[in-house]
Amino acid sequence: MTAVAAPSVSTRARPRGFRRLLITELKLFAREPMLLFWGLVFPVGLLVVLGVAGGDKAQKSLGGVKLIVAYTPVVMMFVVTILALSALPAALASYRDKGYLRRLSTTPIGAARLLAAQVILNFGLAAAAVILVALVSHLAFSVALPQQLGGFVLAIALTLAAMLSLGTLVAAVAPTQRIAAAIGSLLFFPLMFFAGLWVPQASMGTTLRDISHYTPLGAAVPAVQNAIAGHWPGTVHLLVLAAYAVVLCAAAGRLFRWER
Amino acid sequence: MTSTLETRRAQTATEVVVSVDHLRVRYGDTLAVDDVSLSINRGEIFGILGPNGAGKTTTVEAIGGLRRPDGGAISVLGLDALRNRQELRQRVGIQLQASELPDKLRVGEALELFASFYRDPADPDRLLKLLGLEAKREDRFANLSGGQRQRLSIALALIGRPELAILDELTTGLDPQSRRETWKLIEGIRDEGVTVILVTHFMEEAERLCDRLALLHHGRVIAIDTPAAMAAGAAGRQRVSFRPSGVVDVARMRELPDVRDVVRHGDRFTVEGTGDLVAAVMESLVRDGVVPLQTRIEQSTLDDAFVALTADADAVVSEHADPTREESR
Repeated sequence: MTAVAAPSVSTRARPRGFRRLLITELKLFAREPMLLFWGLVFPVGLLVVLGVAGGDKAQKSLGGVKLIVAYTPVVMMFVVTILALSALPAALASYRDKGYLRRLSTTPIGAARLLAAQVILNFGLAAAAVILVALVSHLAFSVALPQQLGGFVLAIALTLAAMLSLGTLVAAVAPTQRIAAAIGSLLFFPLMFFAGLWVPQASMGTTLRDISHYTPLGAAVPAVQNAIAGHWPGTVHLLVLAAYAVVLCAAAGRLFRWER
Repeated sequence: MTSTLETRRAQTATEVVVSVDHLRVRYGDTLAVDDVSLSINRGEIFGILGPNGAGKTTTVEAIGGLRRPDGGAISVLGLDALRNRQELRQRVGIQLQASELPDKLRVGEALELFASFYRDPADPDRLLKLLGLEAKREDRFANLSGGQRQRLSIALALIGRPELAILDELTTGLDPQSRRETWKLIEGIRDEGVTVILVTHFMEEAERLCDRLALLHHGRVIAIDTPAAMAAGAAGRQRVSFRPSGVVDVARMRELPDVRDVVRHGDRFTVEGTGDLVAAVMESLVRDGVVPLQTRIEQSTLDDAFVALTADADAVVSEHADPTREESR
């Protein structure tokens, strides 16, 4: 700790330490058992239950597909929502409450990079979870892998952009971590309702289904379903997702506070 | 090593590393810092002292580039505190009041994480050892005691091998033992050539550690000096009190050059003054053939100076009463 610093000879590119920050955030994520349960164990378990219980028959009430086929995109959205509305806002709000964001803003890395690390981490985890759900559905219950891969990737990316922006916005407007958690779970139910967690979209009335197509997850589910079935996701669904992503991201950016 | 260090210190003895010129910071309607000017030399421990709400934290936050000044100029290590923020963050280590880490982050991980942000960091293991935290390496932040958190916080402020370390309320919440250990540590840092800004409201800490200090009150600097000079100067009074064995010529004692006042409480006399007060009083008593009994001598301390100076400042302030001059923090 010779503190009179010799002029630096290192020429590594900035931002220094970002990778370490990502790894550290991943480790911290892995130490949250509740998140691992709701984000991984529960959705995969749900998938298995639906796959086994739904059997092999296509059902008219589901638009002529098997239960597991109708639910695969819904379970994907479930994982995305857990990460975007629980994991992300909880981390960001607690880091702000604790003064950790402020602490980092005194270092060369800056507080904005922690936010970036959280968004990237949750994006990566959500993408991995979506792939996992697709693989489990495919391997265990022979649900087709996405036939329209480009459309699938685009739909998932837009969904993640919209949902992670929403999660950041929740952290931005909530004065404390507790309130962030409360807002997150309040949003969870309507969002997942329109996604079709309780009543699949195919079983909804026309009006309700039309409304649901203008909610983020209600647009995401048919987009993903189409892509899995080999069609290009509907332009309207993609535009709805993109619009949410842009508006929510702008609002989160404007409203986010770095300090208590 | 020591000799090169000393040479280096001698060479840089008068190099100004922080200069603050008429700093003013407000939060909404509240004026947290009204007018602060000071300059800090390389290698010194500079104390910023003052009662709660004096603007101490705001001042160092502005120096650290965390607050945008509403007026005045700040230069740190020759850099503009706002324009060269990135470079400053590399070279200035800041320990903030009440900033916590993620609960489940381990001590060793925290140090390695912070080390990764800097061009030329200190060795985390060495720092852990220096701060007595090596046994806590695998402990999570949430499980650390107050003292351990504080020490970790200091370690994180030093991990980038800063040229300037800003330590805010360093030893608040520490037990006397850890406080003393922390002081030793700070002296060690200074001896390695780091300039230290220490925000404190502990007189003992200021007296023990600081080469110079600035006394802040209501967002203004009311004194800058060495602790000894400050204690002796502004309120630099000594007090001798005794019970005389015979009659004291109070009038003649008042005439003595070093004596400012003589007060009598019952049979006890208290003489206040400066300079060689004790010698003068004793000599005068001896001349009268009086023996002083139960003599007590009180040197004024930094504490007295603090009280006297802030009281003086209050007297001035209350003349142009300004009720808005309260601080938020």
